[in-house]
Amino acid sequence: MGKKVLVVDDDPDVRLFNTTVVEENGHTPIEAANGEEALQMIRSEAPDLVILDVLMPRQSGIRLYRQLKTDASMKDIKVMVLSGINKKSFLKSQQALSEFGGGDVPEPEIYLEKPVDADVLAATIRKAIG
Amino acid sequence: MIKKILFVTKFEELGFDAIKSLLSLRESGLEHIVFMYVIEREKVAMRRGIGYQKDEEIRLKEAANIRFIDWAERLFEIGMEVGVYIQVGGMAAEVVKAARKEEADLVVIGRSGKSSLEQFYSGSTVTELIRRLPVPTLVYKPVPENPFAFGKPFQRPLLATDWSPASRKAVDYLIGMKPLIEEVRVVHVIDENAIEGPTVMDAQKARKDAKAKMEEICGRFEAAGIDARSHVYVGAPAEGVEKAARECLATMVALGSSSKNRWVERWIGSVPQEIAEKSAYPTLLIPPDRK
Repeated sequence: MGKKVLVVDDDPDVRLFNTTVVEENGHTPIEAANGEEALQMIRSEAPDLVILDVLMPRQSGIRLYRQLKTDASMKDIKVMVLSGINKKSFLKSQQALSEFGGGDVPEPEIYLEKPVDADVLAATIRKAIG
Repeated sequence: MIKKILFVTKFEELGFDAIKSLLSLRESGLEHIVFMYVIEREKVAMRRGIGYQKDEEIRLKEAANIRFIDWAERLFEIGMEVGVYIQVGGMAAEVVKAARKEEADLVVIGRSGKSSLEQFYSGSTVTELIRRLPVPTLVYKPVPENPFAFGKPFQRPLLATDWSPASRKAVDYLIGMKPLIEEVRVVHVIDENAIEGPTVMDAQKARKDAKAKMEEICGRFEAAGIDARSHVYVGAPAEGVEKAARECLATMVALGSSSKNRWVERWIGSVPQEIAEKSAYPTLLIPPDRK
């Protein structure tokens, strides 16, 4: 049975691409255009996987990821970061926020840098949630 | 307190060096910078035989995105929060929309390279922004013209006052930026025409009145723990402010923005607009309270 996948990206073209790949793999996509919208949807929809962009208006993926991984009710949701921001910068930012007293967070389960092929994305989704 | 900045760039006039100097605002609570690039509609508009230039839009968006990703990585790595807008539309309208959506505390823009004539015909983005934005606007200037004004723009602001409500609001605003300010210089420029009286006494009286009002303003800064000194200049307002900024080694000119309507400004200009466009110094424009 298909699972619920939240696609978070401010670019509508990227959301269309990602949701299409999710659907073609038998899962149900839901969408959010920024970190704030995504947080509301995670709370109301409890997705099995979040495909998360980083650089977005209102709230970045970095802050959202941190909120997810420090909240007991959401920390087990799988997160695939899919961004133009490189992994090293993402990890450094989390480290910097930890130093400001935010507490440590684990590395994302999956980190893909844009652009990504549909085949690679599909295979990564399958590996994450079947 | 400035927690969030909307940083509007066309890249050629405002780059990462400007962002670096704004990072001094972290001492005063800055934690979020939102980048914005507006692709002006005429760049991708419908053309006969070509139609809407979608390819050009994509090219411009991707070029901006590449620059923003590079800047964002550097800011994320030091624990800053970063956002981005890349929009097609009218510059002023899109900036105002994004500033409201993001609830930005300060909008930073570069000085447009347009000549006065071009501004007259196309409308100045700066004028439009200071008229419509409910939050202060910092018009940033490139370094080579003025090495003093780079690094920490809020360190030694020159407050140009004309006693208007917006000028009074500028005083409160700068007092709120106390952790960043080393010293404030307060200047009022008396228009030469205003002192053309029958006697020397009239001129002296105008100077004395202005000085008394400025001492009151300096007293407010000093009561808040900020060193302040006042100066009176005589001449054309924009030129006097520029001269004062240079002589005081100011790092920025701060002033209340005009509440004149758009057509008045288009025809006769306004002092804040003139300083924002022509001064070599970063210019902070503080709007009056909107009713």
